[in-house]
Amino acid sequence: MLSLIINNVVIFAGIGGFLALLLVIADYFLANYGDCQIDINGKKKLTVKGGSSLLNSLAENNVFIPSACGGRGTCGLCKVKVKEGGGPLLPTERPYLDADELKNGVRLSCQVKVKEDIIISIPEALFSIRKFKGVVETIIDYTYDTKGLVIKLIEPAKIDFKAGQYIQLESKKYAKSKQVVSRAYSMANCPENNNVVELIIRRVPDGIMTTFVHDYLKKDDELYLTGPYGDFFIRDTDTDMIFVAGGSGMAPFKGIIEDLYKKESKQHIVYFFGARTTEDLFLVDEMKEYEKKMADFTFIPVISQPEKSPDWKGESGYIPPLLDKHIRDPKNTEGYLCGSPALIASTEKKMKELGIENVYYDSFG
Amino acid sequence: MKQTPNEKTIQERLKPGVITLDGFLGEDNRHYHDIINEDMEKLKSLNITKEDIADRMQYFTDLALMNNDEEAVIDDIYKVHYLTERGKIVSPFMDRGLIAKGSITLHNMQNDLKVCWTPLNISMIRNHGFFEGKGATHRLEPEILVKAIF
Ligand code: FES
Repeated sequence: MLSLIINNVVIFAGIGGFLALLLVIADYFLANYGDCQIDINGKKKLTVKGGSSLLNSLAENNVFIPSACGGRGTCGLCKVKVKEGGGPLLPTERPYLDADELKNGVRLSCQVKVKEDIIISIPEALFSIRKFKGVVETIIDYTYDTKGLVIKLIEPAKIDFKAGQYIQLESKKYAKSKQVVSRAYSMANCPENNNVVELIIRRVPDGIMTTFVHDYLKKDDELYLTGPYGDFFIRDTDTDMIFVAGGSGMAPFKGIIEDLYKKESKQHIVYFFGARTTEDLFLVDEMKEYEKKMADFTFIPVISQPEKSPDWKGESGYIPPLLDKHIRDPKNTEGYLCGSPALIASTEKKMKELGIENVYYDSFG
Repeated sequence: MKQTPNEKTIQERLKPGVITLDGFLGEDNRHYHDIINEDMEKLKSLNITKEDIADRMQYFTDLALMNNDEEAVIDDIYKVHYLTERGKIVSPFMDRGLIAKGSITLHNMQNDLKVCWTPLNISMIRNHGFFEGKGATHRLEPEILVKAIF
């Protein structure tokens, strides 16, 4: 009796498994979704071959949605609003979507398969994003854990952007990292130097991309990037400006200051750059040069662990308590911040307390 | 071992090079279920829950965060340092929401134990009882962790 039951269970399990396998094989080889149409914002219609992810289908047609994980559903950056089509929400998408997004049909474009006509809506700015091929022109050692990268653009040879915006850099497969990932980095050059992309990349322990850049990337290596992205750029006003950066948060400000210098800005600008010790400081001489060359620019490097840098003669401690003596009129001052979440949170709080209403920060955090 | 598609995805996401370079399993070849089961048994023998541990880790994390990337001395016993990083990370268990990057180092000055965790560790312990595989970069041995933080 027992052996009969076992036999039956095995037979049914076998049949079930075989049918499931058949379905997978059929889907893989036979599923032909034909041509599907992607309607973007009611303005642009793409005809694509069905079966691929929405993210890839768009990228193949030069519409680049931000993504940092190579479409593996682990970064949550590739959100688009799907108004029609797209199939049911997958468990891999749920973690990234809040109640509002769920209600509004926001999906992860890397998880949505194009199997039918789809209507989506994306921010207009994404239409101007391009994919670039470049080569590593220079690698600079700024500090023991921070490198500068100058990438010469090959195809297209120029990038149009606003100082402070960011690109997404693609890694290559290496050692333990068996897939390509991409990560966001602010551009450190000014828009006048539009044939290169300069980046400042601090090593993140266990980071897939930063290990690639720090340990594997060499001069003349080919790289791919997409951009420009982001709304961290100087607003077109003539107010005073306070910049606060920590570590690789220097990058957008380097580009912004070069840009302001080239535009002969007369604005009152104070730039606080925070680092733990003098070993973590970089580009100080370059910034001090801008103090001499620009009408009203002050650069203040600040060390948070002065006990480890006994020869340090400059400012030390936290940046927020140093702000008020450099603010002339809070109502006529804008704050721009880029750095660790702790630095951004404490500085924004202090600026609001001091009466600065417009505080902008890089939202990678 | 029979796995649901979700469990397969999770096991995949725990491997090196998917979410982090070194992954979450270290040299531990076991399925994540087995790693969790063994650690949950350990917690039982220590008479503590994963929620108690996660709450305590969160307590130190929150206090250290307010100290602007500098070391904080808490309750005269613990030196805690939260090094924040830009960016967010997702849980390999596909829980809702993105988690801040960064690392928290705690030194218990009474018993001289030092432990280091990430905000993601707290989430994985609280929601899944996952302390990472043996030899993983942020593996937390429950017994040592409990001695260090309580
Ligand atoms: S590309 Fe990373 S989640 Fe979609």
